[in-house]
Amino acid sequence: MKNNKGVKMVVWSRIRKDFPVLNQLYEGKNLIYFDSACMALKPVQVWNAMEYYYKYLGACGGAGRSTHCLGLETSLLTEEARKKMTSFINASDVNEIIWTRNATEGLNIIAATIPLKKEQNIVTTTLEHHSGMLPFLKRSKEVGSEFRLVRAKNDGTFDIADFEKQIDDNTKIVSFVHASNLTGTIAPLKEIIEIAHDHGALVVSDEAQYAPHAKLDVKNLDTDFSVLSIHKACGPTGVGVLYGKYDLLEELDMFLVGGDVIEDVIYENGQITAKYLPPPQKFEAGLQNYGGMMGASAAVDYLQNIGMDNIRQREQVFSKKLLEGILEIDKFDVLGPLDYKQRTALVSFRPKSAEINHNDIAEYFNDMLPQHKILMRAGNMCVHPFQYQIGMSPAKGEGIIRASLYIYNTINEIEIFLSALEDFAKIIE
Amino acid sequence: MGEHKDRNIECVLAILQKKNPASTKEIMAMRDLFPKLCAGCASGGDVVLAGKSLVEKGIVERKWSSIGFIWELVSDPGYEK
Repeated sequence: MKNNKGVKMVVWSRIRKDFPVLNQLYEGKNLIYFDSACMALKPVQVWNAMEYYYKYLGACGGAGRSTHCLGLETSLLTEEARKKMTSFINASDVNEIIWTRNATEGLNIIAATIPLKKEQNIVTTTLEHHSGMLPFLKRSKEVGSEFRLVRAKNDGTFDIADFEKQIDDNTKIVSFVHASNLTGTIAPLKEIIEIAHDHGALVVSDEAQYAPHAKLDVKNLDTDFSVLSIHKACGPTGVGVLYGKYDLLEELDMFLVGGDVIEDVIYENGQITAKYLPPPQKFEAGLQNYGGMMGASAAVDYLQNIGMDNIRQREQVFSKKLLEGILEIDKFDVLGPLDYKQRTALVSFRPKSAEINHNDIAEYFNDMLPQHKILMRAGNMCVHPFQYQIGMSPAKGEGIIRASLYIYNTINEIEIFLSALEDFAKIIE
Repeated sequence: MGEHKDRNIECVLAILQKKNPASTKEIMAMRDLFPKLCAGCASGGDVVLAGKSLVEKGIVERKWSSIGFIWELVSDPGYEK
């Protein structure tokens, strides 16, 4: 259905019906799922696609594997999945899409295989998820190269001038989170990529928290590498994507070797010589997660049918309502920018009075409300450095509670949550 | 039950045997006393999960208060002290 401006209209109540987990009572209570930044729920379309593979195919796919009818259909469907992923992020070519287990694996592949010399440096930020930081810290230590940090501002935003100071002609790669899983900050990625490229540096963007929520266009951004986790985009667990410009992928060393990555392994004159396939196969060693790829394919179909712009618009409404509602209660500190337009639909917060542990707050909403179970995550969200920077101490048990929303949530759910949060603030006063 | 969870169950029991009852915040603060038992991320989620499983077994009771949950060891866990 389209409105009078020709824009596709989404009936959000119908979307919600695709997620049966939300249409059940759990221990006699209604579920409000505010933990999508950790794991998005899965619509029926995704499990139908996976069920089709496991029920009716269940065979090997991939070039050089089984050529019988079940193998052939598996190969065709997984090739189709790669094409859909190419379109989802607007890559130039299907061979720029590598299947991984998750964004973390993609970041480890880049960090471990990129050619790096001792005199070169790596730049990242204090707001990175540990997965965007530690693989690069480890590699820089192995090589003896410099590891540089751009310090995020305490409100979770960035000053572009800080990137200009840290990136120089010796910078090999900049690892950067496009949307933060802690503060929700959407960073000025395009400007950072331009600075990096001006110095001949490469950029890997962590899109785990961006790609499920807004249109990712790697061609327009001109990013060199990007990583995604499909489980945050309504897809199955254990499936991720590493995007890379093809000529750069060709330059990278192998990460895992074994079956499926080789053209031939020659035994001649007592010696073994391996001839490897080009990307993407050279990064996809061993039998792959074919059912997962089909689920991923169905997930991106599902999101694109809704429209990534529609999703972003809907989430901005959520973001505004949630952020302003928590601030209005005035009993909680909020991490990240106070302008909802600079955020995805997630808010991390903690009580201004620190008498109560963050785990107890999440557990209160999970267990103590009379009619609802509001499911949120408590902890440090694998972004410890930024919390140390702003004066929190994860080591001393300090953490936050994160409410993160997605396409199946409603304004009514936010209102129920805010009302419960206001009551909670009175209890702990 | 995996080894990691077993260790955290031992962690909660060891803490409650030292201070009973204790709030979640107190338990978190005492994890350093038992570094070999209290495993997992600094955020403490593993310890809370372990505490919940002790509640399910009837070994610990959990009550809500204005400073959060209070955990109380109410029966002999059958573990060596």
